Amino acid sequence: MPIRVASFFQNLLRKRAAEQALDDELQSAVELLTQEKMKEGLSHQEARRQALIELGGVEQVKEQVRDSRTGAFLDSLLQDLRFALRQMQRSPGFVLTAVLILALGIAANVIVFGVLQALVLRSLDLPHAEQVMTLQPKDAGPFVSNPEVRDVRDGNSVFSAVAVYEFQGFGLEANGVTRPVWGAEVSGQYFEVVGIKPVLGRLLERADNDHPGASEAAVISWSAWQSDFGADPNIVGTTVRIDKHPYTIVGVAPEGFRGTEKIPQLDIFVPIANEASLDGFSWLESRSYRNLFSIVRIKDGVTTPEAQAELNAIATRIAMQHPKDEEGLALKLARPGMIGDFVGGPVRAFLAGVMGLAGIVLLAACANLGSLFAARTADRAKEIAIRMALGSGRWRILRQLLVEASVISILGGALACGLAWMALTGLASWHPPTQYPLRLSFVLPQPSLILVGLLISVAAGVVFGLMPLRQIFKTDPNDTIKSGGGPFAAGRRWALRDVLLAAQIALCCVTVTAAFVSLRGLGRAMTMDLGFNPKNVLLTQFDLSQAAYSGEAADHFQRQLLDKLSQIPGVDAAGYASTTPLSGETFVSAVFSQQSSDFRPSNKAFYAYNYDISPGYLTAAGTSLLAGRDVSFADTAKTPPVAIVNQEFARRLFHSEHAVGRYFKDRDGMSIQIVGIVADGKQFTLAEDPKAAAFFPISQKASTSTTVVVRTRRDTADMVAALRGVILDLDRGVPIRELGPWNTALALSFFPSQAATVALGVFGAFGLLLSITGTFGLACYTVGKRRRELSIRVALGAQTKQILSAALGRMLILLASGSAVGILLGVAASRILSAIVYQASAQDPFVLAAVVFTLLLTGSMSVAGPVRRVLYLDPANLLREQ
Amino acid sequence: MSKSKKRTDLLRGTLDLLILKALALEPLHGVGVSRRITQITRDAFRVSFGSLFPSLHRMEEKGWVEAEWRASENNRRAKYYRLTASGRAQLTAEERDWGQVVKIMTAAVESA
Repeated sequence: MPIRVASFFQNLLRKRAAEQALDDELQSAVELLTQEKMKEGLSHQEARRQALIELGGVEQVKEQVRDSRTGAFLDSLLQDLRFALRQMQRSPGFVLTAVLILALGIAANVIVFGVLQALVLRSLDLPHAEQVMTLQPKDAGPFVSNPEVRDVRDGNSVFSAVAVYEFQGFGLEANGVTRPVWGAEVSGQYFEVVGIKPVLGRLLERADNDHPGASEAAVISWSAWQSDFGADPNIVGTTVRIDKHPYTIVGVAPEGFRGTEKIPQLDIFVPIANEASLDGFSWLESRSYRNLFSIVRIKDGVTTPEAQAELNAIATRIAMQHPKDEEGLALKLARPGMIGDFVGGPVRAFLAGVMGLAGIVLLAACANLGSLFAARTADRAKEIAIRMALGSGRWRILRQLLVEASVISILGGALACGLAWMALTGLASWHPPTQYPLRLSFVLPQPSLILVGLLISVAAGVVFGLMPLRQIFKTDPNDTIKSGGGPFAAGRRWALRDVLLAAQIALCCVTVTAAFVSLRGLGRAMTMDLGFNPKNVLLTQFDLSQAAYSGEAADHFQRQLLDKLSQIPGVDAAGYASTTPLSGETFVSAVFSQQSSDFRPSNKAFYAYNYDISPGYLTAAGTSLLAGRDVSFADTAKTPPVAIVNQEFARRLFHSEHAVGRYFKDRDGMSIQIVGIVADGKQFTLAEDPKAAAFFPISQKASTSTTVVVRTRRDTADMVAALRGVILDLDRGVPIRELGPWNTALALSFFPSQAATVALGVFGAFGLLLSITGTFGLACYTVGKRRRELSIRVALGAQTKQILSAALGRMLILLASGSAVGILLGVAASRILSAIVYQASAQDPFVLAAVVFTLLLTGSMSVAGPVRRVLYLDPANLLREQ
Repeated sequence: MSKSKKRTDLLRGTLDLLILKALALEPLHGVGVSRRITQITRDAFRVSFGSLFPSLHRMEEKGWVEAEWRASENNRRAKYYRLTASGRAQLTAEERDWGQVVKIMTAAVESA
């Protein structure tokens, strides 16, 4: 073995000497053979010829000996690499185009994969994260109620810990300043599920949640400790005020732990047992008030199906014990981190769709490069034939081309990794347009992404590098050298690159169609009727429970505030509500017909969104009252309950919009009279179908959660300052969560379709770019190859039309058929967009027209150059040249 | 073309053994090895130089043979290959293996 290793290096390092020795040896063999033949009576010349024939060619034997040497592979690979680099130096334009196209294609894939990995593939950063799951109702939203989860906790044998938590904005008062912070109220086993160790002090324990007021303990995040408390090492034991209640900081969570959801970043954790004092009213014992997320840890050795089976049994039991609230309860285990399947599902579907598009773009890029490579190989037919004639094997030539492709693809991959790295880092530090503590910091690129990028680029290199395979194996050196042009000059037959072009155009069409569909959807979303008019409206959001108001005190505060606001000059209308449509904090309740006497959920008429509003809110929000009256402060707890409903509500309950004066019942069996009808609007998402909504007088059921709506023509900044002044004048302790134009607050609602449009727009533009370069490249190549033939045709008197159809007719057929197939595919693919983009449909004539127009435009742009060349062909020139 | 190719394929597995055998008696140059193989196989095998030289170089790398330049029978310089100790060991091993193969194959062919 040592000899082999030695000769490996010897071969590499002392190649020249070895080459000389080999040459000597073969020359001497030729001489020996010649002498032998001469002894048989041949002339020296004839003997030498015979000797060479018997040997089989000195160069050929040498090549075979070289191949058999240890390290020969690496050695010739280095040769190939050097040759490839020389070739690339000769055509920098080609290399630059190829590298750029590939870099963009690979970068798109790496970026999308990075996001996919962060959002979907990677589990939460917790010990044994694979055992951590979330429980959620099977066919409803993500929320569960506390008694449901408590029953699961106490009645199971498959979970080692079961907990609930609720996101909550708190007013945190420390060092004399009150700030709004986001945190969670968590139940006793929360940190057992999570399984982390505190950096300082302790985490919340079961005893903290023993009964309401059991402890006033709070755990803060590492980053809150760093930024708000200056990393004070004596933080444990410090008293702060949360919503005016004194709490003691008992511990600091480890760095990186910001709760068990990926996007919201939480800073403080308090016992959920204290929710009554924090929220102003108690819901812990309510089965129907579902506002909690749950999180569980499956015991060691228990499989997910086993856990699910037991969960099913428990849910059935709960449903039987509490038929009124829990009828038909079914709980399922879902992966935590993205609010279970509720957000995770659509996000997964969308990302999978985008990943598919990215794959298509990369395929198109490969097809593009493949046809460029095939064309180049055709141009190099003579070189290849000569190399074969000199004893180079077909595999060796193929390898040479593969090395060239790999060099380009690895350059492209490296560039792509750089691009992806920048994009993901940018994305990670970006703050989504919302007041919520949403960050995308977890998409920070991981080193493993480089590996992914490298794999993709090598695969891509092999894919397009292998495209000229057939050409090489068909090459007959004799014919090629004789004919000069080579057997694969553009002829009558359909070449591989023609098919590639059509395929590539079809793929590009898919991305273009998707881009137009989402653009159209976004355009619709921007101009659609929301049911309110956010223009010229300022929103102010706060929760009075965070300043220790409740019930009547809150009501009093709100009315005082409304009085003062109405007196600010420039305020056209003002009102307030418990929450506003599209705020993400809307909730639904069951509606029953007046005849109902059975208030189980299955007997409901439908669910309706609930809003508690003050007089003037509808005017301020710009929601048109179609019939009846506005709510009034004369509607109080002592007067009969009333409500204003939207058209959809009336239609669904009465099959007519004439509902004023009629009644419905809520889940407590209370009869409520309808006193007004308002126009339909969006409630939860922009993409939703019309939903029923009911607006109740806030004076009949007080709410501490407050959104003040002010319609004004005055300058935004002035008005914001005035509003803040008025609120703080009334009470400095009110932590204002958000204050600004309604349109800004709605940004999050528009975000999914905007994000989709940007992503798909980029892919669409890239797809177009690819189809332009592909078409242009092939058209130029075809015209160039056939210049001579075309010139002769011109000389023989062919008409312009005939020349054009001869030169580019096939290109046009390719373009048309590729586009047609692509549009069909695009229409099919756009279906998946409808979950995200408002009214996304590719059957829209506008979309189809736009796609066809764009393709015609780019198609004609990319063949314009070659067409010009054909039209200005001067046969005399060419015939002189040759 | 196809006929000679077939013959080389047939030889591929046994070429090393034949070369070792050819060199067992005395050191030879490449052409000599070729002639000796033709002779000891009674003209049945003609080894192509395209296979012979790579094999010789491989064996040299493995240390089964060593080479030296010296004058040939008619005073030309030529590269002579000679079996080393490990080459002889290899020859013995390959002869034994070949014997096994022949025995097994003969039994198999003559059965039934």
